[in-house]
Amino acid sequence: MILDTVIYGEITLFNLLQVLFILIIAAILAKVVVLNIRRSLKDKLRKDHLEILVKAVYYTIIGVAVISVLPILGVNPSGFLVAGGIAGLVIGFASQKIVANLISGVFLVVERPVKIGDQINIGDVSGIVVDIHIISTIIRTFDGLYVRVPNEKVFTSSITNFVGNVARRFEYEVGISYSDDVDKASEVIIKVIEEHPFALKNPAPQVFVDRLGESAVVLRVRIWAPSTEWFGVRMELLWKIKKALEEEGIKVPFPQRVVWLRDEPSR
Amino acid sequence: MNITFSFKHGERIINKFLEFNILEVFYVFGIYDIPLRMEREFTLSVEERGENFVYRRESGDEIVEKMLLAGDGKLLVNPVEPLNKPKEITPLLLIEFQKPVVIEPGAKRKIFLKFPIEIGVFISGGKKLEVMDIFTIARQKYTLYGDVSTGKICRYWKSDVYPSIPEADPVREGILELRFENLSRGWVEVTRAVFNAYGMKIYYSDSMVSMRGNMRILGEGTAETYFSNSPLEKGMKKAVELYTARRLAISTKFLMEAGL
Repeated sequence: MILDTVIYGEITLFNLLQVLFILIIAAILAKVVVLNIRRSLKDKLRKDHLEILVKAVYYTIIGVAVISVLPILGVNPSGFLVAGGIAGLVIGFASQKIVANLISGVFLVVERPVKIGDQINIGDVSGIVVDIHIISTIIRTFDGLYVRVPNEKVFTSSITNFVGNVARRFEYEVGISYSDDVDKASEVIIKVIEEHPFALKNPAPQVFVDRLGESAVVLRVRIWAPSTEWFGVRMELLWKIKKALEEEGIKVPFPQRVVWLRDEPSR
Repeated sequence: MNITFSFKHGERIINKFLEFNILEVFYVFGIYDIPLRMEREFTLSVEERGENFVYRRESGDEIVEKMLLAGDGKLLVNPVEPLNKPKEITPLLLIEFQKPVVIEPGAKRKIFLKFPIEIGVFISGGKKLEVMDIFTIARQKYTLYGDVSTGKICRYWKSDVYPSIPEADPVREGILELRFENLSRGWVEVTRAVFNAYGMKIYYSDSMVSMRGNMRILGEGTAETYFSNSPLEKGMKKAVELYTARRLAISTKFLMEAGL
């Protein structure tokens, strides 16, 4: 019979089909379990925690299936474990980069310098962390590009997490005319900031004269906002400040130079 | 035909057209059959459009319009946890006291504060209740409690401290009864209270929206806050909660560790 055909050693085609069948069933089972975990825990766990749980369950099921089919293929798992040390060394040398990425992935999950959904900068890549796989991290750049960064690079690079702290500060420079009242301008700016819900009450915003410029008295405006909202606040407030100043009759001057023409007495 | 209700906090108008049927009226808060129309500092209406309805709400510069593909249904308007507008970014509400409260060691005392109101509009059909719209006419402001690294973003509200239940416009402000229990050995000065929305229990009547909060002062700069699930006055209805503890390991209390 064709199923009894020996492939190698004592392994027949039937054994191979058995292995294939078990692995396919395990893969389907893993997918179904993962889908159900996602459905039932979607509202109960944070997205990044859920992703870690889902991956752990998925790889556990696949791992158990792989170990369970080893005896069918004539491989004794206990012997495999004994040989694991030597095999690990061999595989380690052969696939150093992959193992480095894998270990970095594990450390990323444990140390968690970045989470799924964080806005980060790694090297020359800035964007939102979409997923953290075992050997790579997926980032969607702010202009919508898909970037896969190996975990080793993520782990060894300096990471800037824009939402690592709950609040962040941004600044404007606002120039007003030398003839305008600085105190009044500061009041107007503070009032505009006060009216914005996400310009934080505490730490309080600051408005102060930063320098006396060539054409304007330059006010520095410092505002704190929730890290998740700061860019929206930054985009909205500057124009509102400009409009509010103009409504109060305070000019935002453009660069200018006063030229005095001296009347030379005729000779 | 217009029906005008007058009460101590001002005048409220609910335009009730002949074909409109209002089952139960708690001024703004309550359960209504659709179609309906409400006018106050905001306008809220559900009008028939062919076989369907159009929900429209105007408040300030914000206009929300939604098509309701429903034969009939009821509209529930009630106060919800004030942490959704302009965007849900935190489940914490910080109330700063207009004047500090100083509490003697071992004392159990209560004060009254005001908190901002957000109005939730729910549509019900069959046995399902779905939030359709949330809005507020109260001021929206956020703040940071604690430092930038370990602190928490909170919805901010400043309130005077009252010895008894103050008057408040229920569409704009609710009344929070805050019971202090000073478990520390010294006098403690409290200038603010931070509450977790996941524990909020809001009740409403025709003239008041209320919550009952507690603060257990554990030390000079530490306190635990939580809510009691009971109305401030008899006959008040319980509001539908948006912040239910659906997530695993979500606490309904808040530990104030960054100062009182």
